[in-house]
Amino acid sequence: MTKSMLIVSRHAPWGGLSAREALDIALAGGAFELPVGLLFLDDGVFQLLPGQRPAAVEQKDLAANLQALPLFGVEDLYVCRQSLRLRGLDGQPLALSATPLEGPELADLFDRYDLVITL
Amino acid sequence: MTTLHLLSRSPFGTPLDSTLRLLGVRDGLLLCGDACHALQPGSAPLQLLEHLPDSVALHALAEDLEARNLMAPERVRVVDYPGFVELCTRYDKVNGWL
Amino acid sequence: MSTLNVAGRDLALDEDGYLSDLRDWSEEVAEALARREELELSVEHWEILRLLREFHAQFQLSPATRPLVKYVALKLGPEKGNSPHLNRLFKGSPAKLAAKLAGLPKPTNCL
Repeated sequence: MTKSMLIVSRHAPWGGLSAREALDIALAGGAFELPVGLLFLDDGVFQLLPGQRPAAVEQKDLAANLQALPLFGVEDLYVCRQSLRLRGLDGQPLALSATPLEGPELADLFDRYDLVITL
Repeated sequence: MTTLHLLSRSPFGTPLDSTLRLLGVRDGLLLCGDACHALQPGSAPLQLLEHLPDSVALHALAEDLEARNLMAPERVRVVDYPGFVELCTRYDKVNGWL
Repeated sequence: MSTLNVAGRDLALDEDGYLSDLRDWSEEVAEALARREELELSVEHWEILRLLREFHAQFQLSPATRPLVKYVALKLGPEKGNSPHLNRLFKGSPAKLAAKLAGLPKPTNCL
């Protein structure tokens, strides 16, 4: 039986490699037709801020890569509402359409997957 | 004398805050490494842990407590490495907050 | 490491035959790369190569097979966006070979 996998991306995009690694796992999982979900949690929500220019810090455009997720078959995209709120981003336009989840909905999400990988 | 304070780390919360928010009532928590400092008496994290429902099992790794001269409160079960492994098999999945 | 001679210029290729410097790409270079793979580029090949370059411009990465098939289906319809059609055009490994000819980086999430 194929196992479903929830990837939790909880780091901002340019300060380290975590955000890139989480996305690479999601894209690889999708390419191999695994059931993959991706949750943006904590500073991970900063990956969804529109208008970022990673070339200024000589990094690849993670935001452009994120847009490819649905084509890779990763359509279950979630964002933690509380994380958005704490960072002043609740209600702001985001660069990727993700389902906002709150409180017990988050624990339920973790329950639905066979594996959880937090990066 | 004046100082320029240089910051480069995220100014937002720790994994413990998020873990506590997402914890299911039948989940467990294992503290190892510097996370054991959450058991520091009188600290804010310890207060948060003490407010968790009794159904949530709390554990801490013995050698990391010892290295930090920390005592586990009564509701925290202290485990060694074989105990760590046993815990990993007892739950349906393991989520490492790195 | 080998080189590809196009119009008197020697272009560097990596160990798998992909352009080392993606800025070297041109339609002429694509034709030369295809000859190296013993492939004659038809109109049907070219429409896929152009789509791949669009994909890369938009998403800044090379698609694996699954997203490639989906993207082609989205842009050209299901009669072209399917594995048999793409396999036939690109010798059974469309994601890798088409990326090579289109001057994209080697796809990383591919068998």
